[in-house]
Amino acid sequence: MEVINNLPDTELVAKLRDGKSMDEAIRTLYRNYFGNLCWYVMNNSGSRQDAEDVFQEVVVNFIDLVQKNKFRGESTVKTFLFSLNRHTWLNELKRRGRALAREEKYERGQEKTEMDAGHYIADREGKAEVTRLVGELGETCRKILLLFYYENLSMREILETLHYENEQVVRNKKYKCLKQLEQMITEKPYLKQSLKNLLHG
Amino acid sequence: MDNSTPDTTALIIDHIDGILPAAEKEQLEKQLSADNRMKEEWENLLATTEAVRLYGLQQKVGTIHHEMMSEWQAPVKTISPVRRIARYTLAVAAGVLLVVLGITGYNFYQLSADKIFTGNYSYYELSNTRGAGTEATTAEKAYAEKRYADVIKIYDSGNEAGQQTAFIAGVSALELDNSTRAIACFKEVIALNRQAGEKLLEDEAEYYLSLSYIRNGDYDYALELMKKIQEDPGHLYREKITDKLIRQVKLLKWR
Repeated sequence: MEVINNLPDTELVAKLRDGKSMDEAIRTLYRNYFGNLCWYVMNNSGSRQDAEDVFQEVVVNFIDLVQKNKFRGESTVKTFLFSLNRHTWLNELKRRGRALAREEKYERGQEKTEMDAGHYIADREGKAEVTRLVGELGETCRKILLLFYYENLSMREILETLHYENEQVVRNKKYKCLKQLEQMITEKPYLKQSLKNLLHG
Repeated sequence: MDNSTPDTTALIIDHIDGILPAAEKEQLEKQLSADNRMKEEWENLLATTEAVRLYGLQQKVGTIHHEMMSEWQAPVKTISPVRRIARYTLAVAAGVLLVVLGITGYNFYQLSADKIFTGNYSYYELSNTRGAGTEATTAEKAYAEKRYADVIKIYDSGNEAGQQTAFIAGVSALELDNSTRAIACFKEVIALNRQAGEKLLEDEAEYYLSLSYIRNGDYDYALELMKKIQEDPGHLYREKITDKLIRQVKLLKWR
């Protein structure tokens, strides 16, 4: 397996944006930044498991921002990830109701020197709930929607993968699945804002 | 409540998927800007596709996350009781060694020529050099009155030449922190003894000379002389030259 630990930021971001060599780019994020970011959480009242969970969430958010062209390279990947990591962990501490005063003070002190990554990770729980609902879809529906909207496969390619009679059948199935998921989400009024955050956050 | 028609929903989905022909797209966009309910459905469906995309990304990162964590996690091995005891013993030994090294290191950095000199130097009492009933020389009087500079002047004048004057001039020089001068004086005592075939104040001169060498940073000369004193069973100062003192001077060489 190719190991690319020392990719320049621009190349790393490009690989994450266009999806080519995405897996290896994610591994590079882990190899280069997990240690330090993990250290931050573990030195601020977190366990190793907390650190792992936060880092996983940070990587997802970072890639999402890169793919939406919201990471413009005004800071280094390292700085940006640190900021996301810190905000994510402080949010989690607040959620647990035991944010430390010194961390809040530190947070205030950092506001001028770093980009505000806080708004990128707003409504973590709402987003988590929305994506959890995707997991609750039937396996076939989930697979069709993922192949089309995440893997960007064409109807023909999905047809070849899932062995339906023809493209129209796949198209109809996708229509029903998407509508089903939309209803699952919109049935929960408290997720309305979370849904908007997915678009604009 | 879902008030949309299947046709409208299909059009909206095609629009989101980017497969709606240009004319229909333009017409749909006009409808979207005029019909809030339709626009809301469009936003909901768009956000739903976004949720799918985010879910896909979470799954991909999650898979790699588990792979990386497994890669980094050291395999858990069971250790036999004997090996566990051996490990604890080694850990304790390593701890003791660290403490010993720490103390040695501390002592090493605390060590200085001045400290060794002060710890081993003692003022030389004049009564040791002159018997009762004998009149003290001018140099000895000056020494007794702690006029060390005068002692050296008298020694330099040559009016009271001899081992006694050279010796107390050496001690006076040490009292005045002039170890170079002291070295010359004590060497003079030894040289005069050699010329006269005497041993007057010889042991004293050798001991104070070794201390003067230490203070002056001449550790090799000091060690040579200290070994000579230590190996001489009849030397008056043999007991003062301990192995610890010799070790300390050797350590000073490395500083």
